[in-house]
Amino acid sequence: MNIYIYDDYLNKSKYSRILNRVEIRLTDLGLNGKIIRLGAIKNIRDVIQNEIKNGAKTIVAVGNNQTVNKIIGSVIDNELYGFFQKNILFSIIPIGEDNSIADSLGIRKEEEACNILLARRVKKIDIGIVNNYYFLNKATIPCQDTVLEIAGEYSIESQEKGVINIFNLKSDTSDDKNLKINPIDGKLDVYIKNKNRDLSFISTKKIKITNPNYPLVLDGIIEIKTPADIGIISGKLNVVVGKDRSFE
Amino acid sequence: MFNKDNKPEKFKDAETIIGASIKVKGNFHGQGNIVVEGQLEGNLRTDANLFIGDKAKVVANIEAIDAIINGEVKGSLKIHQYLAIGPTAKIIGDINCCEISIEKGAMINGQIIYVPNNNKATRMKSSEAEDSSEDEEKDEE
Repeated sequence: MNIYIYDDYLNKSKYSRILNRVEIRLTDLGLNGKIIRLGAIKNIRDVIQNEIKNGAKTIVAVGNNQTVNKIIGSVIDNELYGFFQKNILFSIIPIGEDNSIADSLGIRKEEEACNILLARRVKKIDIGIVNNYYFLNKATIPCQDTVLEIAGEYSIESQEKGVINIFNLKSDTSDDKNLKINPIDGKLDVYIKNKNRDLSFISTKKIKITNPNYPLVLDGIIEIKTPADIGIISGKLNVVVGKDRSFE
Repeated sequence: MFNKDNKPEKFKDAETIIGASIKVKGNFHGQGNIVVEGQLEGNLRTDANLFIGDKAKVVANIEAIDAIINGEVKGSLKIHQYLAIGPTAKIIGDINCCEISIEKGAMINGQIIYVPNNNKATRMKSSEAEDSSEDEEKDEE
């Protein structure tokens, strides 16, 4: 059974035609399922986990990066229903703007997303974890006053202003195309870019990050105060991907 | 062979790049090629090759298979195969290597000791070969 999670903003009238098109396409392809609207739900984690317990096989985020970030923790958090969640598939139907995560997975248009869902091309990808929060794309923090402790062995400080991006999955639209980021290698890729275009790169599994003045931002949405421990869970999420994804 | 940064092509896909504005402290151990353009204090070891840029300042004991040094290094160097010292290099410390080239202008304060080519890479290859032959023997059994 497929579960479609609609984000709040899709209630706006400007999205009704797109949603109609998507729903018709899904019905044509025999992919119809249960629709859950985020706006009406207070505890999304319990709702999703109950659906998984009741036999849901695919969880589809209908919306944008924020939708993905809101529900990703519920899909992979398997403390309660680990047995049921082992083979759960996750997919995205991107609608509106800010859909870089779907882009990275090779899903660009809403109707194309329905065909990709039918094709069931599945990849097991890593998930980034910071304290109790998950991220698919990247964690970001300014260079200023930031100290990175890598795997407890050495520390890194930048002496100039810039930005530190800790990637799990590259976002095609906003990130430099030359970056080599692999979400199936079990490692986080740290890129430090300074204003004079000086680029540093390190690959690691564990980072402790400290900055007394700025928070760490996950997937451009969640702000977390530091010190924070960043790790990676290897091959944790089964995602349905398109041919034009940003990784092999 | 060399690109516009005077860096050999093999460093184009380096596993780690420490940029000019970055300061690293501690024990850095990598498995792939490493490029250092910034500052590093502690120990630096890689199972592959090392490039130290002309503005880099390294206070560390270094171990690598091949190395190209153009910047400042304070500490001992243990290079298992080939060490190239560029014209802008300043090295204070002993050097252990198998092959070496030193360009005019380089400054070295320390001993240069020849170490026969029983390098890490060769040892790794031979141990892999032994492992595979053992596996084959087991398969035959």
